[in-house]
Amino acid sequence: MSPQAKGTLDEYRAPATLAEAAEALADGKGTVLAGGTDLMLQAEAGKTPYRGRLVNIRRVAGLRGVTEDGGTIRIGALTTVTDLLNDPLVAEKAPVLAATADKFASSQIRNAATVGGNICNASPAGDMILPLLALDARVELASWRDGALATRTVALDGFFTGPGATVKGPEELLGAVLFETPPAGRTARFVKSGPRPALEIATVAAAIAMTVDGGTLRDVRLALGAVAPTPLRAKRTEALLEGETLDGDLIARAAETVAGEVNPIDDVRATAWYRKHLVTIYVRRLLQDDGKG
Amino acid sequence: MDPIAKKSVIGGRVPKPDAPDKAVGRTRYINDMVLPQMLYGRILHADRPHARIVAIDTAEAAKLPGVHVVLTGKDMPRMLFGVNRDNRPLKGDKVRCIRDEIAAVAAESEEICDAALALIKVTYEDLPAVFDPAEAMRPGAPAVHDEKPDNLSLAYRFDHGDVAAAEAESDVVLDDVFDVHYVTHCCMGTSCAIADFDTDGKLTIYSQTQYPYNFKMDLAPALGMHPGDIRVIQPPVGGAFGSKLDVYPYEPVCVLLARAARRPVKLTFSREEEFINAPTRQPARIHLRTGAKADGTLTFRDVDCLLNNGAYTSWGPTTPYVMMRTFSSHYRVPVVRFHSQAVYTNNPYAGSFRGYGNVQATYATASHMDMLAERLGMDLLTLSLKNAQESGEVSPQGSVLADCAFAECLTVAAEKSGFLEKQARYAAARNTPGRIKRGIGLASSIHNAGGAKIHKSDGCGTIVKLDDYARCTVITGASEIGQGIDAVLCQVMAEELGIPMSDVTIVNNDSAIGPWDVGVHASRTTFIAGNGARRAAQKARAQILKAASHQANMPPEGLDLREGWVVLDHSGEPVVKLDRLLRQMHFQKDSELVMVTDYYEPPSEEERPGHVGDMSAAYSHAVHVAEVEVDTETGEVRVLKVTSAQDVGRIINEMGLEAQVEGGIVMGLGYALSEHLLIQDGRVRNPNFRDYKVFTAPEVPEMDLHFIESHSQTGPMGAKGIAELPTIVIAPAVANAVYNAIGIRFKAPPLTPEKVARAIWDRDHGAVAAE
Repeated sequence: MSPQAKGTLDEYRAPATLAEAAEALADGKGTVLAGGTDLMLQAEAGKTPYRGRLVNIRRVAGLRGVTEDGGTIRIGALTTVTDLLNDPLVAEKAPVLAATADKFASSQIRNAATVGGNICNASPAGDMILPLLALDARVELASWRDGALATRTVALDGFFTGPGATVKGPEELLGAVLFETPPAGRTARFVKSGPRPALEIATVAAAIAMTVDGGTLRDVRLALGAVAPTPLRAKRTEALLEGETLDGDLIARAAETVAGEVNPIDDVRATAWYRKHLVTIYVRRLLQDDGKG
Repeated sequence: MDPIAKKSVIGGRVPKPDAPDKAVGRTRYINDMVLPQMLYGRILHADRPHARIVAIDTAEAAKLPGVHVVLTGKDMPRMLFGVNRDNRPLKGDKVRCIRDEIAAVAAESEEICDAALALIKVTYEDLPAVFDPAEAMRPGAPAVHDEKPDNLSLAYRFDHGDVAAAEAESDVVLDDVFDVHYVTHCCMGTSCAIADFDTDGKLTIYSQTQYPYNFKMDLAPALGMHPGDIRVIQPPVGGAFGSKLDVYPYEPVCVLLARAARRPVKLTFSREEEFINAPTRQPARIHLRTGAKADGTLTFRDVDCLLNNGAYTSWGPTTPYVMMRTFSSHYRVPVVRFHSQAVYTNNPYAGSFRGYGNVQATYATASHMDMLAERLGMDLLTLSLKNAQESGEVSPQGSVLADCAFAECLTVAAEKSGFLEKQARYAAARNTPGRIKRGIGLASSIHNAGGAKIHKSDGCGTIVKLDDYARCTVITGASEIGQGIDAVLCQVMAEELGIPMSDVTIVNNDSAIGPWDVGVHASRTTFIAGNGARRAAQKARAQILKAASHQANMPPEGLDLREGWVVLDHSGEPVVKLDRLLRQMHFQKDSELVMVTDYYEPPSEEERPGHVGDMSAAYSHAVHVAEVEVDTETGEVRVLKVTSAQDVGRIINEMGLEAQVEGGIVMGLGYALSEHLLIQDGRVRNPNFRDYKVFTAPEVPEMDLHFIESHSQTGPMGAKGIAELPTIVIAPAVANAVYNAIGIRFKAPPLTPEKVARAIWDRDHGAVAAE
């Protein structure tokens, strides 16, 4: 890879506050460093060229950890995947995030990789995005406007615009991801393909959240990874399931619907045929409470 | 003093001497080395499969601050090297595959090298390319080498007996094509060399080579040097597995940069470069026909083998030399016809890789035995035992199977794994409900276990010396590339000289010091270097006991060496401390040092024309039984357990043996299930560990290892070479197990989830065109 394609770094900043970080990014010429597990590889490969200024946000106070306030769970952008695996609040209120963290890369990568980084990397195969989509999560974007810190909130569904692309501007910093605390009785599951139990990038991954109310499905959210240019909410399949009784016939119809809803590609990891094949299997398994894969 | 009892360290559990430093991160690998004044080198690769090089403009690169040298193929005479003398360090005229070396830079840092490479402008004129060997053989196909218009690289033929007559006598003939794939070694240490000239123009190269003595001979023509002016230093390496058994262009390029820069130059591959530019295992399309009588007696094998040579010729296209031994001697086969052709294409090229052709051949033979058993309605164990050779049998190519334990390996592996009972049970459950199916599969093979006389000599030199403190130094030609020879040599010295293993130092990292050896290949090192070291130790022992017999006034036969003492053999009563005796020998009037040499040549023979000859001093068998679980929806195959029975001759270091067998099985499981270097239109599509999937720790199955001791008459203390068989046998055992589970035969590994799922889908729904 030629050095030109990597971009150049002329300046390094290590802000201590969210406001300082937003100011450092204000001109849109900053590249954000958090865990670095995606950034360093992609910059080396020329896929994400450095923008000139490296803004290391790891010293920004208050961006790491999981809290609950007024029925909303907030996960700071710098919360690592390992944090999710070990967090008692996650274990109690949103265990699907810990289950996903358990399937995420390897211990070493989990220790460095952050939730915010996994979202901003916007990989169609980003593991952590799927359960967050299923939980109706939203993200907080901070920026520096008119000499002050400004924040906007964007739903995660709609945040992604293409492989590696989001609605977040280059001057914005993702500070946190938030979702309403799932009520009692709500179930969420995650399933991911791959022959290896560790260090596997998903051929296909899927997450579901739903409430089974006396045998009837309510508020179904189905998120799919690596089957479209962005992580995908399978809304036709969700609509099919909504208000219906969970039985073998419904599961078969859901599998059929989801196959028509995804638009996977052939690549070095799998053919489109296999991805579609797996999606139907995973939707069946998620609905049958058999997410073991 | 109390008497000292006789003790043996052979068969014990000995940690490798290099293990503690590696475990705590103290080992200084070649990749860690820095020499004073050292520059860094990097190579510009072509990144296109077939083209004329019209012009190379290096002016901008040469001007970059920090750049010392920029070289292109146009700067130097045509210096050809390689098995077919078809390769050059830097290509001046033509690109023949993506890894072709076009230019090279030496600079103050690797970053400056990269910046300089980006400034080199090459004008290419792309040429029509050919990637499939069958297409490359057709008239009018693009010629990869202008001087070889038919693209034919190497051909092998072995003919023994009348195939047509044998076929006429056969009740069953199986006819199948097995297509085995590209994989690469994935050494933890990427390719690296450091070249350093002295003022007289003599070269010292720090190298990862696993054959230092012939390496000089093979490197010299690429440099226009005399081999005698090359000194090879071998720092610790992060794996080799056959990948360092040849000279590859980066090595002469590194040397040429150092010569031009008049400074030491270190050249290291990035991981991506390693995936693209290091050798692969030889892929092969094997058309195998196997004949048998109704009672299971094998009647013939008829083999046509087509090899994708790639653009240049390293050892890969010579692997049929070993494949034909498998086809002719894996089981008793009275009639054999083997023809192979390696054909040039614009693909990257293969080198040697643990198993050397036998991995490929055994995938075919062991699959066919399983298929034959089903076809004949026999169980595989009975069929195998019926055709397994016994001690003293001679194969059609002249392999003398002395001390043969094939039948015992078959019986032990089958019994310990419950093979027959499980195979029947799993086959019966194949069509019952449930998405998870279990299967069990058995495979076997034969391999040379006493070296391979592919050169005039298959020997190894050893020098043993003892100092005034009874510390022993073994200077051996045998290289340590992680396989564990150092521990074995320590054991041999301890056994013969009655000294602790910790008092033995092994020196085997400098071609200016060590005596000649062929190199680490062919599962030969413990056998050849072990025999040589034992003979040298026995000479030292005789010298010591002779001196002691003068002192004790006893015949030397009545003395023994134990725990650092000369003792009376019958009683163990100490006579004199060994170090004291050695000082007396040294500082007496007729002073002498204990300092002996040996050159061991194994009792094997070179092949005569027609490929007949007893080329190894021993042969060995291994049998693996794999038990798997197949998810019939996703196609995922999980290996639950591997049972192995291998004829090891005699256990020397049980820990080293276990490590080699376990490591070999894991490497072979990757070959069977997950590893595939995807080369499409001449390009490597997955040059990273994300998409090239080696087996990782959580996937490793339970392993139940059984070592069969056949006590080789020729091996050191009865041992045979063991290192390649574990990798050779496991893949067909897994494929046979998957067949047992789901009734589908996979003739083209690896059995990836998608391949398995697709095959199940096609069977159940009828094959449909890919969407």
